[in-house]
Amino acid sequence: MKKHESNNAIVVKNVYKKFKLFYDKPNTLKERLVFWNKTKVNYHEVLKDINIEIKKGETVALIGVNGSGKSTLLKLMTKIIYPTTGEIKTYGKLTSLLELGAGFHPDFTGRENIYFNASIFGLSAREIDARVQDIIDFSELGEYIDTPVRTYSSGMYMRLAFSVAINVDAEILLIDEILAVGDQHFQDKCFQKLDELKKSDKTIVIVSHSLESIKKLCNRAIWIYEGEVRMDGKASKVIDEYLKVCG
Amino acid sequence: MIEEIYNYRQLLKSNVSKEIRGKYKGSFLGVLWSFVNPLLMTLVYAIVFPFILKSTQPHYVTFLVIAILPWNWFTTVINQGTSCININGGIIKKVYFPREILPISIVTSGLINYLISCLIICLFLICSGLGFSINIIFLPIVIMVQYILLLGIIFITSAINVYIKDAEYIINFFVLMLFYGTPILYSPELFPENMRWLLNLNPMTTIINAYREIFYYKTNPNLKSLFVVFIFSSILLYFGIKIFKKLKKGFAEEL
Repeated sequence: MKKHESNNAIVVKNVYKKFKLFYDKPNTLKERLVFWNKTKVNYHEVLKDINIEIKKGETVALIGVNGSGKSTLLKLMTKIIYPTTGEIKTYGKLTSLLELGAGFHPDFTGRENIYFNASIFGLSAREIDARVQDIIDFSELGEYIDTPVRTYSSGMYMRLAFSVAINVDAEILLIDEILAVGDQHFQDKCFQKLDELKKSDKTIVIVSHSLESIKKLCNRAIWIYEGEVRMDGKASKVIDEYLKVCG
Repeated sequence: MIEEIYNYRQLLKSNVSKEIRGKYKGSFLGVLWSFVNPLLMTLVYAIVFPFILKSTQPHYVTFLVIAILPWNWFTTVINQGTSCININGGIIKKVYFPREILPISIVTSGLINYLISCLIICLFLICSGLGFSINIIFLPIVIMVQYILLLGIIFITSAINVYIKDAEYIINFFVLMLFYGTPILYSPELFPENMRWLLNLNPMTTIINAYREIFYYKTNPNLKSLFVVFIFSSILLYFGIKIFKKLKKGFAEEL
């Protein structure tokens, strides 16, 4: 890690992202051979020349209408997909909550799934051992933790998934529109936890449409409009401007 | 890459155990199925083939088991491994983790299955009165060569299968054919002399022969041809990792 970059958590530099749009995607060999060079490929440019620097300890919200490219940007930061051109660098352990409970195995118990899910985030067995009680307490599942996950209600499922993800202790946390977890009580608890993480100098990037909560939580907001950064600045200011145009 | 995989070792571990335990979860015999299956297969061949081939191989069942169990490792890994990226598409699209974990855990769970099923081989060796010999010390080498070979194949096929879904079916058919092109049901001497080079082109021939030499004939394996297969497998693995690395960037978009 270079010294002058050490206070940056995420650096996005001249990033373009194009998606191939197939009208009929040739998936099989037959289709590939028959439609050789005949398939119409259109490119859809989702992100255009994005330049963002996020400092360590910042809590940043990405806002914008549906289809503006917020989630794509978040996926690029996670390294699930890669930019067409440009580069993205992240410094520090990164966890992303794009979808809760990805990788849960329905036949295994809640406790086993904690181990499995946390290991996807790159934790070792010892690290998970140390956190498992915190995770169970946070999820408020009590004795249900030792029953198979397929017997859970969707709320219980989400609570468990969120509890695992939030307790991973990453330095950078990327969250995609998942704050609407569980009942009011649990939502409040999630926000409290996020606030706590924010104070402990973690870097958080949130994609969300619940503007009121973002205003409270984030100190910076970036408004993405049709694949470009429209506005970047103090959360309340950007959100007010956004509401004026899109509200 | 190795460092990253080491950091995610717990994922590898839980993936392997999910692979071994999860597959048969809910069934009555559970994990035992992974041993009952090849045994039943052996039973069928042991009944049918002596009729057709008029095989005079002594201890034919033991002769079969020694080859069928590693072959079972080979086919299960290739069948499951080729589709392992497609099957895990859901997680791949949602979470970042080194994608190499998926093929590695398939090959490793196959290895563990085989190691356990070595107990069955031992049982057959004892019951048939063949017993053991000191040549068993070569077993880890043979297993290692097969492991590297499988890893190389799976890295390539699993990555390609994301882009061309036919790969799975073509490969499954190819493996099925290869079963007859590998000296499992017969010993290589039964193959016509002028065609035997064809048999020897198949790396699994050398590996299966080596298992037989160790357990059945109680001699040293043919180290020279084993070394050739080792070099071939290492080169395959090298290119496999390269291909996988290149193709993995598009996984989330293609799935």
